[in-house]
Amino acid sequence: MAEIRLDNISKTFNEDRVVKNISLTIKDGSFTVLVGPSGCGKSTILRMLAGFEKQTEGDIWIDDKLVNDLAPSKRDIAMVFQNYALYPTMTVKGNIEFGLANRKIPKKERRQLVEEIAEIVGLSDHLNKKPDKLSGGQRQRVALARAMVKKPKVFILDEPLSNLDAKLRTQMRTELIQLHKKLGTTFVYVTHDQVEAMSMGDEIIILNKGMVQQKAAPIDVYQNPRNLFAAEFIGQPPMNVFDRTAYEGIVEPVPEGVRYIGFRPEHASVSRTAASIPHTIELESEILTLETLGAETIYKVKNRIGVMNIRSFSAPVAKDGCCFVSIPLEKFYPFGADKIAKPELDLSMKKEAVLNGIG
Amino acid sequence: MALVKDSMGMGERRSTSQSLVSWTRLRPYAMISPAILVFCLFFIYPIGYMVYLSFHDWNFVSPTKEFIGTANFTYLLSNLEFREVIVNSFIYTFFTVFLTIGISLLLALWLNRGGAIYSFLQASIFSPHITSLVSVSMLWMWIMDADYGLLNWALNLIGIESIPWLTSPDYALTSLIMVAVWKGIGFNTLVFIAGLQSIPKDLYEAAELDHTPPWRRFLRITVPMLSPTLFFLTIIGIINSFQVFETINLMTEGGPINSTNTFVYYIYQYGFQFFKIGYASAAGVILLVILSVLTVIYFKVLSKKVHYR
Amino acid sequence: MKTPLILKVINGLGLVLLFIIFAMPFVWMASTAFKTLGETLTFPPVWIPESLQWANFAQAWNSGPFLKYFFNSVIVTLFILILQFATIIPAAYAFARYQFPLKNFFFALTMICLMIPSQLIFLPVYLNLSSWGLLDSIWGLILPFATSAFGIFLLRQSFMQVPEELLEAARLDDATEWQIIRKIMLPLAKPVLITLALFSFIAHWNDYFWPLVMTTTDNARTLPLGIAMLRQVEGGAAWNTIMAGNLLLVVPILIIFFFAQRHIIRAFVYTGVK
Repeated sequence: MAEIRLDNISKTFNEDRVVKNISLTIKDGSFTVLVGPSGCGKSTILRMLAGFEKQTEGDIWIDDKLVNDLAPSKRDIAMVFQNYALYPTMTVKGNIEFGLANRKIPKKERRQLVEEIAEIVGLSDHLNKKPDKLSGGQRQRVALARAMVKKPKVFILDEPLSNLDAKLRTQMRTELIQLHKKLGTTFVYVTHDQVEAMSMGDEIIILNKGMVQQKAAPIDVYQNPRNLFAAEFIGQPPMNVFDRTAYEGIVEPVPEGVRYIGFRPEHASVSRTAASIPHTIELESEILTLETLGAETIYKVKNRIGVMNIRSFSAPVAKDGCCFVSIPLEKFYPFGADKIAKPELDLSMKKEAVLNGIG
Repeated sequence: MALVKDSMGMGERRSTSQSLVSWTRLRPYAMISPAILVFCLFFIYPIGYMVYLSFHDWNFVSPTKEFIGTANFTYLLSNLEFREVIVNSFIYTFFTVFLTIGISLLLALWLNRGGAIYSFLQASIFSPHITSLVSVSMLWMWIMDADYGLLNWALNLIGIESIPWLTSPDYALTSLIMVAVWKGIGFNTLVFIAGLQSIPKDLYEAAELDHTPPWRRFLRITVPMLSPTLFFLTIIGIINSFQVFETINLMTEGGPINSTNTFVYYIYQYGFQFFKIGYASAAGVILLVILSVLTVIYFKVLSKKVHYR
Repeated sequence: MKTPLILKVINGLGLVLLFIIFAMPFVWMASTAFKTLGETLTFPPVWIPESLQWANFAQAWNSGPFLKYFFNSVIVTLFILILQFATIIPAAYAFARYQFPLKNFFFALTMICLMIPSQLIFLPVYLNLSSWGLLDSIWGLILPFATSAFGIFLLRQSFMQVPEELLEAARLDDATEWQIIRKIMLPLAKPVLITLALFSFIAHWNDYFWPLVMTTTDNARTLPLGIAMLRQVEGGAAWNTIMAGNLLLVVPILIIFFFAQRHIIRAFVYTGVK
């Protein structure tokens, strides 16, 4: 049972403010993902949470206990490191047991705990091997076992899947979600991969330049991005965003206060022929490239607005040449000059805005 | 890492007793202090003391050390015997390093192959390097014995007359250089071989695809890639040769007629046989300057990266 | 492409010549050690003595207090090794893993000491030891080498290569700094530790210069000094006894070399290409 509270946290490295006045609450028992591009401050937050680094300002509370001045080992947390940080000279058993032995837990109890955990993560046959004899997935499991055996209040996972190959990564993702369900402990997970964030977290915290951009459930982040950064960061390919001037003569008039307009690639559609649908803009476009991924097709097209990505789930149209791209007006995301989303300025309400783009 | 320590230090300060803080703060110093103490007592302080003594006249037993300014240095530099020492040191160093490195490079190119025979030979030529200089010196004294020595016997076999290796001023320094080269080759060769083996094979494969002739491959790939090793061995060789003592002390005692007297032996003689401490210290200061210059050159060049890696 | 036979022969002859140049002196040493004095004074020399003069070894051994020399050598080398490890490990760890005021200054000091050869400072150290009453004692042979700048440098390199994550994991696991050193750092640095031990052992077991300068009586003399003094025994040069004595000094090292050849060569070459 542990809720984590960051209260006005800042971190400065040699005059460089990498974390700026962050306040947030990580709910007890949640699977919270900190996601953002490299250098956004997510690892620093994690390391401050673990106690490896000390915040320049602000307080950290774990389970209503102020932990600012507690050494890492006293915070009742366990961590899975990006490169696993397995002790290379110890066996799997030694790795899992090390923390218990340091806490002077009796040998018998230790052995029982180790065997129990090894059973859960499926390492029982490998207890006497050294880490360099294990596969990537097995090492990952040792790292998990080593964290679990301490029965911590909080699990901290620092990009734990980044060293695995694609197939194993997907598998471990599911396993981690199941593990979280089984343990019911608070998970704080750091990644730069938005797909991982979306698929695993029940709460996502998007960070950029040391500040929280948005904190919400994955589906919320996707549907209602709070600002341009969140909008562009989540989704693959990213949201197509253009300046209001690009829509001149297409969406008229663009409401006052809207500076940028974006739409998700999967909300537009591509067809061979024009088919005037109400409340939808239609643009004659040129196909630049086309990636066929089986279930879906990604187009890169050029039209009056600019170059954009379209993600289509229907069978691909011709490889190149002309096509028509239609985007329902209700799917547009307007943003103000401050790059904050302006959902109240809904474009679809303006009937007179419907116009057919003529390529 | 710094911050880790810092945070832990702070943590312990407020949450636990005051004494713990000071311990985390002091711990690094406690950990380096035994080593630093030894350095100060046996390296740093003696250097300072030597510089101090070099400006004084002292015979080791008298209770007072008389300050005489730079007199020791002016006397040294005008002294014919000391000039001989400097010349000897330079000759010894130049030829020892030049021959050792040259021969070692050739041997490395020759012996850098797989197979039991080659690794056995590599070990054989290395064995003098780990043999005590006492044994090396005495063994070669015996081999170079003018009357019953093995070397003269071998020369006689091929029709060359016996040579008074260690007893003639014409040959003594040469003989010492020969011994130094014999002892040093193994180490240098193996370092060169290590250097050769660190050159990526694909460089040679690329050159072969370009139809580069072997000698060009040697000049354009091997030599540049080996240059850091060559540089390192040269500087280390020079620094070590300037300090030669054991072979001189055991084999020639600086003679005959001062022909093999070099720096360290000269300091030893003046310090321990003639008890002119200030004077010997002044000679030591000059050696210190020479070695410092070499060391500075070494690091200057190193930081400029002659490396091609 | 086949190498022509003639080149193979030349190569083979070259290898044999090389072997003779480097191995023959040792064979000659062994041969002489078993000769009678008369046999050493023949020209051309005889290679195989008529009968093996084992008495030469006894004579060399008994020409001075060799048991004492041997004992001193063992004590001095052993203490140097123990003290070096005791001082190098914490210092290297502090330099590699802690950040503290004046760290760079102290490390620069260490690097300067790495550059100072004992041949340069023996005179002032001698004077200091003499004023501290440590002259002609084994402590005068041990204490100046109680640490090794080279060792600190090498071990620090090795410690720095251990990823920070590993230490953080250990700290989360409640490990003390000493446990981190003992359970994680030292096992990882094992090759470097072996290198340092071999290097230091050979250097100090063989050392002649320092004991020569710092001792005046048999009280603290070591084996190399005793062997060197064989020259002065019995006036003239009894090469058979001298070589017998030297064989006693050389053979143990060569035996170690024979068994730990790869390790020793790697140790020395590693120090050369650091």
